[in-house]
Amino acid sequence: MDESTKRLRSLDFFMGTGFALIGFYVMFDGYKAFVSPALVTVEKSVNPGVTTLFVGGFLALLGLILATIGVRGSGNPFRKAAQVIPETIRKRTFLRGVLAMACIGVYFFIFWGRIPYVMATFIFLAGMMLLFKGGAWWKVCLISGITVAIIWYLFGVLAMIPLP
Amino acid sequence: MGTEQIIAEVLRTLNLEFIALIAVGTLIGLIVGALPGLTTTMGIALLTGITFKFSGHSAIALLMGLYVGGVSGGSLSGVLIGIPGTPANAAATLDGFPLAMAGKGAQAITISRTASIIGTLFGIGCLAFFTPLLSNLALKFTSAEFCLLGLFGVLISGTLTGADLPMKGWIAGIFGLAIGMIGMDELTAWHRLTFGSPELIGGVPFIPIMIGFFGIPQVIEALMSEQDVLVAALDKTKVKLKEILVHWWTALRAGLIGVGIGIIPGVGEDVAAWVSYGVAKKGSKHPEEYGKGSYEGLVAAETADNACIGGAIIPLLSLGIPGSPPAAVLLGAFLIHGVRPGPMMSFEFPAFTYQAVSWLLVATLFMRFMALWLARPMQKILQIKNAILMPIVAVLCAIGAFSLDIRFLDIVLVFFAGLIGLIFRKGKYPPAPLVLGIILGPLVDTNFRRALKASGGDFSIFFTRPIALALVLAIVVLILGQLGVFGAIRDKWRSRKQTEAQTTIS
Repeated sequence: MDESTKRLRSLDFFMGTGFALIGFYVMFDGYKAFVSPALVTVEKSVNPGVTTLFVGGFLALLGLILATIGVRGSGNPFRKAAQVIPETIRKRTFLRGVLAMACIGVYFFIFWGRIPYVMATFIFLAGMMLLFKGGAWWKVCLISGITVAIIWYLFGVLAMIPLP
Repeated sequence: MGTEQIIAEVLRTLNLEFIALIAVGTLIGLIVGALPGLTTTMGIALLTGITFKFSGHSAIALLMGLYVGGVSGGSLSGVLIGIPGTPANAAATLDGFPLAMAGKGAQAITISRTASIIGTLFGIGCLAFFTPLLSNLALKFTSAEFCLLGLFGVLISGTLTGADLPMKGWIAGIFGLAIGMIGMDELTAWHRLTFGSPELIGGVPFIPIMIGFFGIPQVIEALMSEQDVLVAALDKTKVKLKEILVHWWTALRAGLIGVGIGIIPGVGEDVAAWVSYGVAKKGSKHPEEYGKGSYEGLVAAETADNACIGGAIIPLLSLGIPGSPPAAVLLGAFLIHGVRPGPMMSFEFPAFTYQAVSWLLVATLFMRFMALWLARPMQKILQIKNAILMPIVAVLCAIGAFSLDIRFLDIVLVFFAGLIGLIFRKGKYPPAPLVLGIILGPLVDTNFRRALKASGGDFSIFFTRPIALALVLAIVVLILGQLGVFGAIRDKWRSRKQTEAQTTIS
């Protein structure tokens, strides 16, 4: 098995475990519905917990199988992760991805609703374009300005959406 | 409804307003499809958010235009820069780009466009013919069949679309089913998986999840790479119709494969194109030319992915089960605009299938002309840097999701769906089963319990009806097949035969 497959299997172990845990939670939610006194008058076959138990059980089972495949395929998934994570963090592409996600996070969670929409969107667009070297500052400002104007007109004026 | 009334209904939704909207949809589709990083599914999800204030049918006509344009447009970038605009056009890129590099770019575009038209028309023909037949058959389905059909759709989609282990496709699908069950239960009003949040009682809104799941990972991945694109030059040579018609058998076979794969729930255009390409190469007299600029390969791939459009809409309209990821998002748009596809649609909207056929035909016509006009401007558009384009896409993701219900929760969902989408890509989990799972979750759940209620809690209802039994067997065979059970049995049988043969010789 080549190195990239071993790394993928290590990730499979962690994701499989995660899905198994989600599956167990879904089963727990189904069990709560199944034994709830509020649903005692409802026929057991119509109880909303029935499907949730099935779906959660299936997800947990598949997650556990995947985690097992991950352990068998990667040898020691923890050791492999300890090797892969520092390597990935040092990569330039990864850092660019984190930066892009952070910019989107700032726009969604900090700017949205706190700064007027037009201004927030202009700052986000111009800032992100400049950060990722989209071109000269005046070009970036011009493109951002035109984009914001079009979006404001389409959504705020034509579709009459109350922009935050 | 009589034929005359159906024709009148079709003509009513084929006025100047509708034609203009279809033209706009097709144009947007061609551009979205051609820009690497923007997919047809994402385009439909984004435009659904933007068009939610349109009257029902006009928004759907626009989105169908986008579907046709999007699938076709991806080949433009495939030919010009060697990067398929959408996954559906990856197979066409194998031969389209070498042709462009050999100075035959215009020919490659003309051939792929003609193949797209042939494929789309073939798919539309099948849509018009098979949808009423399947709708009539579906009227005989009970809750047990609908539940099993939904489950089968999720599992087959997971099996066929997975790039790594099929189990990952199943996990994605089952995870989608769990997400689809969030909210108030339709039968008992019980709140499931809501984490006590009143905002989740109404369920997880589908469109913001789709926008986030497809849009945000594309933005991040495009910004992660720093590559510049190399745009091929376009020549002025023309292709003779004879050169295309010589591949009529390849086109016909590709059309059948495209429609066939389109009908399978949640599989979609990219699988259709690859299967058709593989089959054509296997049956070709010149397989060595494939991947180096084969007209035949280009025809096989482009006809199949476009024929898949009509194929994917057949189960969507007749069963309410989408045949591809773009069709799944289209289903979300249908529901937002008050059109509930499924067997009852032939009573509620008897002319809808033919209206959809007419919109798709008009979109094909626009696609024919627009794609050729767009080829040269696209050379410039494709040079737009990701650093300029992707922030704009992120803004559209946010406003597209927000405009549906004007609430901040949808923005939060876009962000977290984007994170999940990124993790899925990293772990090589196919997105189609998840989409299908989310959309089919309520169908599987409600029909499962309705079937049990009807049978008084007896599970034999899933085995005693012929169609249900066939579906159960299909699911069992699918799972056992993917777990390698049949392979193991075959190997054991062969080794026993060999041992017997050796014993006989000795």
